[in-house]
Parts: sequence; structure tokens; C-alpha cells
Amino acid sequence: MSFRRLAASFGIEFKHTFRRPLFFFLAVILILSAWGLSSGKMSISSGDSSVGGTKAWITSEFAQTQMMTFIILLYYAFFIAKAAGLMLLRDHETQVDVLLHSTPLTPREYVWGRFLAVTGGFVVLMLFQVAVNAFFNHVVPNPSAQDIRGPFLLRSYLVPVLTIGLPFLVFFTGLSMVLGERTRNAVMVFVLPVATLLVCGFFLWTWSPSWLDLRVNKLFQVIDPAGYRWLNETLLKVDRGVDYYNKHAVPYDALFWLNRAWLLILGIAGVLLTERAVAQSLRGAVISKRQAKSRGVAPAAGILAPEPAHGAPLAGLGMTGRQPGFLSSVATVARTELRELLRQPGLYIFIPLILVQVLGNSLLAVGAFDTPVLLTPGTSAVQIANQVILLVLLLLLFYTVESLERERTTGLSQILYATPCRTAAFLAGKAVANSVVALVVLAASLVASWIALLVQHTVPFSFAPYALIWGLLLIPTFLFWTAFVTAIYAAVGNRYASYGIALSALIYTGFRTLTREISWAGNWPLWGRALRWSDLGFFETDRLALVLNRVMVLGGAVFFVALAVKLFERRGADAVRTIHRLAPRTLGAAALRLGGFALVPLAAWTVLVFQVTNGLEGGVFKKETKDYWAKNLKTWLDAPLPDIARVDVAVTVDPKRHALRSAGTFTLVNGLDSTLAQIPLTGGLDWNHLKWTMDGKAYEPEDRKHLFVFTPERPLAKGDSVVIGWKWDGFLPRGITKNGGNTDEFVLPSGVVLTGFEPSFLPVIGFMEGVGETKDNKTEARKYPRDYWKGITRAGYGATAWFPARVAITGPAEYTLNGPGVCTSNTVKGGLRTQVWETDHPIKILNIVCGKWKTKQGHGTTIYYDPAHPYNVEEMSSTLDAARHWYSEWFLPYPWRELKLSEFPALAGYAQGFGTNITFSENMGFLTKNDAKTDATFLVTAHEAAHQWWGNILTPANGPNGDFLSEGMAHFSTLLLFEKVKGARGRMEFAKGIESRYGDRRRVDDERPMYDIDGKRESDETVMYDRGGWVFWMLYDFMGHDRALAGLQRFIRTWSESRDHPALQDFVASMRPYARDPVAYDAFVKEWFEDRAMPEYRVTGAKKEKRAQGYDVTLTVRNTGTGRMPVEIAATSGERWAKPSKEPSYRESREGIVLGAGESKALTIHCSFSPDKVVVDPDVRVLQLNRKQATVSL
Amino acid sequence: MLETRGLVKVYPGPVTALNGIDLDVPSGMFGLLGANGAGKSTFMKILAGLLEPTSGTATLDGENILESPETLWPRLGYLPQEFGFYPHLNGETMLDHLLTLKGVHAPQGRKRLVAELLERVNLSFAAKRSLKGYSGGMRQRLGIAQALAGNPRLIIVDEPTAGLDPEERLRFYRLLSELAVDRIVLLSTHIVEDVAVLCPRFAVIRAGRLVTVTSPGEARASIAGHIYEGVVNVEDLPRLRGERIVTQAILVEGKDRARIYDPSGSPPDGFAPAPVTLEDAYLVLMRLGALPARGRRGVSQVPPAGGAEAALASASTEAGTTS
Repeated sequence: MSFRRLAASFGIEFKHTFRRPLFFFLAVILILSAWGLSSGKMSISSGDSSVGGTKAWITSEFAQTQMMTFIILLYYAFFIAKAAGLMLLRDHETQVDVLLHSTPLTPREYVWGRFLAVTGGFVVLMLFQVAVNAFFNHVVPNPSAQDIRGPFLLRSYLVPVLTIGLPFLVFFTGLSMVLGERTRNAVMVFVLPVATLLVCGFFLWTWSPSWLDLRVNKLFQVIDPAGYRWLNETLLKVDRGVDYYNKHAVPYDALFWLNRAWLLILGIAGVLLTERAVAQSLRGAVISKRQAKSRGVAPAAGILAPEPAHGAPLAGLGMTGRQPGFLSSVATVARTELRELLRQPGLYIFIPLILVQVLGNSLLAVGAFDTPVLLTPGTSAVQIANQVILLVLLLLLFYTVESLERERTTGLSQILYATPCRTAAFLAGKAVANSVVALVVLAASLVASWIALLVQHTVPFSFAPYALIWGLLLIPTFLFWTAFVTAIYAAVGNRYASYGIALSALIYTGFRTLTREISWAGNWPLWGRALRWSDLGFFETDRLALVLNRVMVLGGAVFFVALAVKLFERRGADAVRTIHRLAPRTLGAAALRLGGFALVPLAAWTVLVFQVTNGLEGGVFKKETKDYWAKNLKTWLDAPLPDIARVDVAVTVDPKRHALRSAGTFTLVNGLDSTLAQIPLTGGLDWNHLKWTMDGKAYEPEDRKHLFVFTPERPLAKGDSVVIGWKWDGFLPRGITKNGGNTDEFVLPSGVVLTGFEPSFLPVIGFMEGVGETKDNKTEARKYPRDYWKGITRAGYGATAWFPARVAITGPAEYTLNGPGVCTSNTVKGGLRTQVWETDHPIKILNIVCGKWKTKQGHGTTIYYDPAHPYNVEEMSSTLDAARHWYSEWFLPYPWRELKLSEFPALAGYAQGFGTNITFSENMGFLTKNDAKTDATFLVTAHEAAHQWWGNILTPANGPNGDFLSEGMAHFSTLLLFEKVKGARGRMEFAKGIESRYGDRRRVDDERPMYDIDGKRESDETVMYDRGGWVFWMLYDFMGHDRALAGLQRFIRTWSESRDHPALQDFVASMRPYARDPVAYDAFVKEWFEDRAMPEYRVTGAKKEKRAQGYDVTLTVRNTGTGRMPVEIAATSGERWAKPSKEPSYRESREGIVLGAGESKALTIHCSFSPDKVVVDPDVRVLQLNRKQATVSL
Repeated sequence: MLETRGLVKVYPGPVTALNGIDLDVPSGMFGLLGANGAGKSTFMKILAGLLEPTSGTATLDGENILESPETLWPRLGYLPQEFGFYPHLNGETMLDHLLTLKGVHAPQGRKRLVAELLERVNLSFAAKRSLKGYSGGMRQRLGIAQALAGNPRLIIVDEPTAGLDPEERLRFYRLLSELAVDRIVLLSTHIVEDVAVLCPRFAVIRAGRLVTVTSPGEARASIAGHIYEGVVNVEDLPRLRGERIVTQAILVEGKDRARIYDPSGSPPDGFAPAPVTLEDAYLVLMRLGALPARGRRGVSQVPPAGGAEAALASASTEAGTTS
């Protein structure tokens, strides 16, 4: 090999790299990205989110490494594929290769020179990226980012480039080169980045359920080319504390280096294969006679072309020529393009890729509490829409550009552009043919969805949702994009510049989607949550927004088509004339002519901007709520409030018009020792024609931006009452969302959901904390003293005292209208139904839910469900029955006659346990998927049913840790019910599930002891639900069944009737007398409630030895976490939960130990059988981290 | 009639490719001669509507074809100098595709027409073969087939015989001549012989300017009697070049067999008068910048009708004597 020639091959390509438009586009993207990310839009989830708390630095090596794993795939991959994959093809198209290879330049020198040039160019870009990141992170001032900037360390920026960037670069360059050389097809080159993006983005990076085998997880870490899965699974998922991430270097391990090694090996192999391919093509391919025959090549030399006939004169052929028709031209171009398209292998490679991707995502989707989701055609169509859209957009980009480029690269442009075929017809024909690409992807996705539904074997397939979502809604996106790409190509006339601009547009849109800045007005691909499906009724809240958005996009497509036709250069433009054409007058005239096409999209965009601004997440709404907050916070926060003595309300709902009317009264009584001079009520922002009364007379309260202040004639002394009445009408929801966000309460044809948490059908007593708070005016949550729970504490939500209620609901006759209590009247008149609900036992908060349902009666329970969702109703009904029965027995007899559970559309994804009237989003319970390990339906039903006791009968205090007595107790109740109904395995699987969830979501530095949790931090939720449920169960286990339940019964009985509301400390104090060993009880409480105990067990040195009778297993167990708990270690053999048909083979032998933080103990377990495994905590009785690693094979 | 006035094309650089071309081309064959880079292809592309001129006008039968090239294209048959096809189509499909886009119709149907055209250019045997497997000459013939299709008023062929063997060249000459009877055929080439054979009139472009418009006969007549042929030693050739216009010098057995233009009537020793060829006239023109006064004409019209055919008839004879 001659290094001089190698250097020449390198040098020419290296210089060319810096002249490529793509190169500059990527540089610009990196600059913009660095600027955007320097304000902390992407950071490690760790740290103390309180004001002044230590935050995760974006400048740490960890943060830069994480960023690099995303950027390398999302940005670099496409550009590398383009540069490397088309590099040799370019030489071939320009026929330079013929000349190059007629010199002494060898294939090795040629290929390696090119490879080194491309990698060198991107290394320069990566170093540029380092410089730009450092500049924006350390030089450009940004006061709001002070907390997240650490000191400058060159290592933090350079090491990720070396460990993440370089191996990926080698890998992608090598593979792109061999793909480009082997296929000689520009489109095929894009298979690699598209496939990698799909597989990584929608699978490798995101799919890691708690039950995944550790070996499989490690395999996935090894094959992820970006290295993100390794980083996340090994170092980020389980929070190690912000100090660790900020100050430590990334500790690369053997698994990581294995991952890097195989990337390098594959990349180098790619280059070697390219070299071989080039060498072979130079010698000429040797083909068999059969291949020769099929290609029409003369099978043997020496056969001459037959003697040509001279024929009649040309004039005798009677040829005529005229302008071909538009449609026939389109058809001709489309036909020829299709021929070319269908012989492209790329399309056939994408089909199985899509099948696997869509199938995988469909079957592995999770919902509430990480429970698997039951797919329906509509949910499936929406769920994979984002993937489908991305894939189609990328494919359309590549196919469109290459299709437009084809005439130039083949040389046919010189002939074809001189034909009378209209430019519009020519472009339209190509677009029609390329649209087949979109159709193929959609068809493959449809097949995959059908297979997924088939495998699921529960919900039947229906084509209608796919036709609506993928057909009607997504096709305008594809048309728009094709027109846009065509216009770009027509404007720049260059394949690389076209890719650069189009990819930049995609990346920008994607960035705005991920940062949630995008709205309907800019969401041309319908990404994010724009498409929210409910089987009960589709797109009801944002139908107008969708229509306007699609009109905008279609109009935009027409505009870009006109622009493309105008700009497409069939005739080479003259430079001088072009300058004249840019004169303002000429330009203005041209703009006017095109302007007509822009009118419709512009008009639609304007209306959308207006609608979003005035919608329920728009600027107008934000201002109104902010005014409410600003005007009332200081005066009315924690102001004394009266109790509700009675509620009488009549609500009329008109689902078709999204309208409702409310008229009612509150009877309010002063239950406080002090007098009440004024009573504040919060009204709704969308209340129209509002009228108030006080004690039956018309009254005008002081209106403080929707906080209405009533001043009775005389201040209310203790026991005095006043009756406040209201009447109003309005719409719910008011306007459209920003980009398809959740709508928690609504009046829609698919269902009605109204709650007393919001002023949706009733005023809310007092000032509503949190309303009007944004990140700009967000204050840190009030810090309560640890003894705040002493004395009288207010209710965390709902009313302080119980009250009776009468709720009359009127709506269309086909609806069932559910309220609290029992239905005392149900009449239909004039097409309207009126149901009157009266509480048979007082309640503390009201709700209304309506729908067109079927019913399933249980024992004192009723399930109201949509006829389309019968799948889990039996299980829900039996669970609700079991919950009512056993919770009544364990905690307190259920005080109400009826317990209802009603389904509502998945415009919101929650379930709420209002007294007697539980509401479930269709995605919870009704559409959960159950298997032997996870009975998700049982889980969610049991949890929500438990709220009748924990949350309604007993309402926790307004203050820190109160919510444990609601959510934590609900999870605890579910654990008990699992054990009772499903057996030990059911409880254990559920316990492991929530333990794993807690481990994934906790943030070590942000987590406070249970006593201090107030629900204001992001990480509080998992502590309340998962840790809370576990701790209560461990306490129950520690105290013993009878003692624990006795304590709980007394606790709930005492506090349910009191004006005082319990905090966790009250609970702990209440349970203590029932503990067998108060000292041990106090120690448990200290560790788990006051501190943050979290054991983590490791087994080392486990081995078995045969003895005379059986086996001895010796091992050492170490608690690498915190907390001191008794724990059992079992040596086992066989499958513990064998299928019923199988012979039970499980055997075990146990020992118990107590390990504190950092302690270890060696022990020996005697077995009469040959064990194959050692399991710490086999009965899942101790909450711990990384449970899977506490099981070892022998 | 095809008329151009003041046609200028300046590329960024600046590079002046055409520097004001005034030309009238009547019906029939018309040749455009010039060296490589003279501006012939630029001129052709402008006329074919594929390149925008910097300034100037061009009309076809009184209609401005530069303002709206789309009005020209239905009446145009164009064979560019460099072109290609979709490699994975076969010859038949490619030709059919182009004929459709050109709006070509025939009483026997387009499929039959395609077969006929392929037969005319001797490609019937390869009709079903992928274009990827076509030789350069076969591609050229297919290009010719699509250029001749339809009923074009103006046919522009740029270096049409590149890659063709002698038999195919003759076949092509015949086809072109058939068409030239009642339409304008503009033939651009740097092969003098093509012009000599086919074109009753031709123009010469040099460095973007029109140097002359004449006929083969006139051109030859302008130097008649002044062409001599002889043998010189290799080391004497440079001196000969310095003293006289050498129109040809071929090395044969170690000595240069040279042809010179000497209007003085006193050629060097060893040189004898030789029959004048159009190539001699072209080379003298390129050296002098104009043809000698005797027999030279300015911008003119009217080639003799049937001139092209008559020229073709004599070309078969001349081809054997002048090549």
C-alpha cells in the first residue's frame, strides 16, 4: 500500500467534506441544539428539586455522556449515512471511478482513504460540538441556568466523544459504506439510520419491564449502538445521588467496552467488505449463463446483431406530436417511477422491520401502574402513530429526493426536460409513485396491528379506526411533507442541501414536540399527544383543532406544490437574469402570484393560533388563572372556612353541545370556634350568566377574579349557618387544548365527568392552592413543622365534615346519569332523563359521571361499562364485590348501600374513588391485559375500591404525609386483597411490581422521609404509592394479622367521625398500642417512617456441597443498602409456581437473619435436596432495591 | 425559419460562452461546426429551452421560443451531446415512456410505433434488454430514435454520430435527411465530414462568435488551388508550421505527410497540389479567422432544395475518397 496514494485519496475527500451543504447543516443544528440544551432542557433525573437544592449539572461527564448518546443517533446517524454511503456512489455516478481505477490507486488505498476522510470530517464536527457546548454552557450568561452549571472540565466533554462518539462513527461509517457500495442505491443507504432509530428509540432505549431477564437486558445493552441503554440501566435508572453524577467520572465496565468493541469490529468489517466489493466491481462481475439469459445478455460471443431492415420512410409512420394531457403525463411518470421503486430492496427491508417494531410495541405497551394494556384497533392506531409518522416522513424524504435526483444522475434530464410534459405533471407523477412508500408502510403497520390483536385474542379487528387515523388524518401530513421536500429540492437543486434542510425541519419539529412547546398551529406531523383516542368517541375535545390543522396542512401542501412547480428548474437559470428577478418589484409580483396559494394555510394557522390562545391551555386561560392566584394568594390561602351542612344541586348536561347548567345551594355552617365574617367560594372560569343568592335573596358577592367573597349581614358565630345559591351555564371544555393534552373534566357525547375537586359544576369552598402557578411564579411548598399534626388539622381534600347531598342530573334519555348515594328517582320526559341521587350516608365530596352504558350487577356493586369494553367486566365486578366484602371486614363496614364503578373516555387517564361513585378511565381496568403474573384489572379495581375507606371514610390531613393514608393505604389494601383472593403468589407479584417501580423512579437526593413527603416533588408519587404500600404491609406483617387489623379498625373508626384529620404520625401513634413489642415497633417506625431505610442485598460465595444427607449451601449475604430488617434466605429447587398440570417440584430450605446497613453474614443452609438457586426474601416481605440481583444460581 | 439575434450567454466566472450570435436557419439541414468549447452545445441548449440566455432573442417561425420554451417543446426533437436513461428499464419501455411524455401518436398505435422506431435505429434485437446492458452506441441510437419521434418542426442534434460505427452513421444520415425535407434540422458537430455530407449550409462558431456562414462548396472554392500535399522530415515540420498554414500532418514511417495552404502559389519543394477538402477549408478558416476573399459569403439564406439529399448521395462516394 502506498501511503502517498492513500493520503491523496484521503485528502481529496476530506477537503470535499467541508464543502458539503450537509456538513454545514449539521453544524448549525449542533449550534442550535447546544444553545437550547444549555438551559437544562435535558438533564439527569437526580438531585434536589427544591429551591436552592443541589441540582444535576448539565456540564458533568454523566450529563454530557447522556446527551452524546442521544445526539449521536438523532443527529449524526443520518448525516454519516449520507456522507459515507453515497461517497463511492458519487464517484460512480460522475464516472470518476473509471478514471481513478485506471491509475495505480488500489481498492484498499481508495476505500481506506475515503473512510478516513469521512470519519476525520465528523471527528472535526464532534470537536466543534464540544467547543460549542462548552461555549454555551460556560461562557454565555444564563441566570436561570446557574444551578445546573458546574465547573468546566475538558474531560467531561472530550471523554463522551471518545467513548460514545468515535466508536459509533466508525461503526456507522463502515456499515454505510458497504451498504452504499453493495447496493449502489441511495435509498438503501438510509435503511441503516432509519432502522437504528426505530429499534433504539422505540425499543432498546425504552423497553425494560421489571420482569425482563437480566441476561437479556445485558444483551440489549451490548447491542445498543448508541450506548444509552447501558448508561441508563447501569448508572441512571437507579438514582445514585446528584453528588455522584456531578462529580464522578463515568465508570465504564466490561459490558460497555464489549459494546464499543463490537461497534468498532463491525465498522472495520464494513470497510473491509467495501474494499472487497470495490475490487470485485473493478474486475467485473462473473455471472452464470442463467443470469446472462435473464438479463438479456447474448449468451455467447460471436453472434452478431441481425441485418437491419431499412423499412419505409419515417414520414410513412404518420407520427404526430402534441402536448400530452396532464393526467396521462402523471400516469406515465408515476408508472415508470413505480417500476423503479418496486425494484428497490429498501422497501422490502423496511416491511419486516416495521412488522417487528409495531408488533413489539403493541404487545409490550404499558398503562397505569405499569400494567400491560389491552389493545383495541383505535388505541393501537394511535399508539404507533408517532412511529409510523416518523418512519414514513423519513422514507418519503429519501425516496422523494432520490426520485427527483434520478434524471440528473442518469443524464436523462437533458432529454426529458425538453419534452412537452408539464412540470406539474412530472412532479405529480413522482409524488404519486412515492406515495406508494407511505402506503406500504401503512399496510405493513396495519398487518402488524392485526397480528397483535390476533395474538392478544381478545378484541376483534376493525379497519375503521385505522382508516380514520392513518388514512384521513395522516395522509395530509404525508402530502404536505412530500410537497415541502419537492419544493426544497426545486429551490436548491441539490440532493445534499435538500436532505440538510428537510432533516433540520424534522429535528426542529421533533425538538419542539419533546419540549412540549409545540401547539396545534405548528404540529404539522401530529406528533406528541395530538392524537388521543377513545373507543367511546373520537377526537371530541379537539375536533375543531384537528380539522383546522389538517386544512392548514393540506393548504400548505398546495402552496408548496405551487412553489415547487414555480421553482423547479428545467431550464438552467442565467445568473444575470436571476439577479434581475430578485429585484423587489419582480419579487413582489412573484410573491403575490404565489400568495394566493398561501391564503388558506395562513388563514387556518391564524385561526388555530387564536383558538389555542383562547383555549383551555392558552394564554388567556393562563392569564386568568394567574390573576386569580396573584389577587387572592396572600389574603385567602389557609383562610378559615365554613363546613358544608348540605348540598342541593340540579345539573343539566347537553353532551352534544358540550354544555351544562347548574343551579343549587350550599348550606354552610360555621364549625369553628371563631366567627366567620366572610366566606370565599371559587367559581369556574367558564361560568356564564352567573347569579348568586344568599339566604334566598339575590346577592352580588365581591368578585376577585373568580374568587367570590360573601359577607353575611352578621358574622357567623359557631353553629350559625347561611345558604348560598348559584345559577350559571357554560361549556366544558372551554375551547381546544394546546396540543392534545389531558382534559380531566368534560361534558362530551362520549361521556360526562364532573368532580367537586374543580369548580366544574359546583363552587369550591375557599381559595384553590396551585391554580395559576407556573414555573415563573412557582413557590416552594410550605414547610410544615414535624409536629404540625398535633391539634386540629384540616382535611386534605373535600369537606371537613360529612354532609348529605341531593343531586338531580338531567341529560339525554339514552344516558345513564350517576351521582353519589342512591337513586331515588329516574324519570324520562321529552327525550330527557332526570335522575335524582340522595346520599344514604353523608359524604365529603361529590362527583357526577354519565355515559351510555351497560351494567353488571354484583353484591351491592354495579359496574357501568361501555358495550364495546366487556372484556374485564367480570373480573372487575368480582373484585369490587370482594373488595367491598373484605375491606368491610378488615377496616370498617361499608356505610353506603351502593358502590358504583363507571367508565369514562380516555381523555383523561385516571381513576378516582369518590364515595359510592368510582370513576375509571377506559384505559384503567377496562382495557388492561392480564396474565398469570399480573392481574392488572384486579390491581386497579382493588386499589380504587380501597379509596372508599382510605380517602373517603377516612380523609387524611392537609399537610405532609397525609396522602400516605390515602394512596399508600390503597396499595396496602390491594396487597391484602391479592393475598386473600389470588393467593400468596398474587400478592408477591404485585409487591415485586411496585417495588421495581419504586426502584426505577425514586430519586435518592430528592427523596425525603415519609413523614416529610408532601406530594410537591416529582419523586414523591412513587414514595406515596409504592413505598407507602410496602411499608404499611411490612408493618402489618411485623405486627401480625389480628393485631394490625384491630389497630386499623380503631384508627379508621376514631378518625372518620372527627373534625380533626389524621397525618401519618397520628396513624403511627394509633397503631402503637397494638404492637406486640413497642420498642421494636418504635425502631421500625424510626427506620421506615422517619428515616429512609432501603436495604439492598447481595449474595456472594454461594456454593453447595454434598453431605451425607443432602446438601449444605454456604453463602455470604451483605446488606449494601440501609435499614435493619429480618430477612429470610432460601435455597430452592424447582419451579415454585408450577402450572397446575405439572407435578409440583418445588422444594426449599430457609434460614433467617437480621442485617443492618453495610452488614454481612455468612450462613449455611442445610437441604435434603439438591438446590439450584439461592433467593433472598423468597416470600417478598422486605422492600429492597435490585431484588433480581439477590438471587443467584448454584 | 429559426432566427437568433444577439444571443449572449455569460456564465459566472465570468465565462462568455456566446458573444452575440445572429443566425438565420431555414428549413433543411444546417450544420454548426466548431472546436470543443466553442459554444455549440450552449447554443443548442438555449435553443432547446434547457438553458436561459443572458440576452438575445430566438424565434421559430416568428414565435419567441426563449420567453416560453414550453411552446417549443411540442415541436422539438432534441438529441443532446451527453445524456442517459433509466438503467433498469429496457429499450422498448424507455422509448415508450419518452414518446408518451412527448405526446407522440401514430395511427398504428404507440406500441407499434416504438417497434418501428427501434427497427429504424437497429435496436429491435435489444428492445427487451435492460438499458444497463446497452453499449454507448446503442444508447446513442435510442437517443436518436426519441429525437426523431413525433412530428417536430425543429430537430436539434448535438454530436449525434459519437459512438456510432460507419454503417450506423450512414443509417443515421439517411434518417435525418428524410426528415430535413420540410423541417429545420440543426446539426452540431466537430466532425467536418458530417457537415460535408449532410449540410448544404453551415456556420462556424469560434470562442462564442459566429465566424462564418457558408456552404461546403463555397468553403472549398475559397481555397481551391491553394492546397498542397507533401512529405517533410519530422524536424522540419515546426519550421513549416511557422511559414505556412498546415492543415494536416500525419506521421507515416518516420516522416510527416503534410497538407498546407499556400495562396502564393509557391509551395515548398516536394509539395504538389492536392484536392481541396472541407476540412482544409475549416482549418484555414480557424487559422485566419475568416475564409479567403474568393468564394466567401456573409450571412445569407436559402440552401438549395434537395441539397441535403444530393449531398448525401455524393457523400457515399466522397466518404470513400476523403477519409
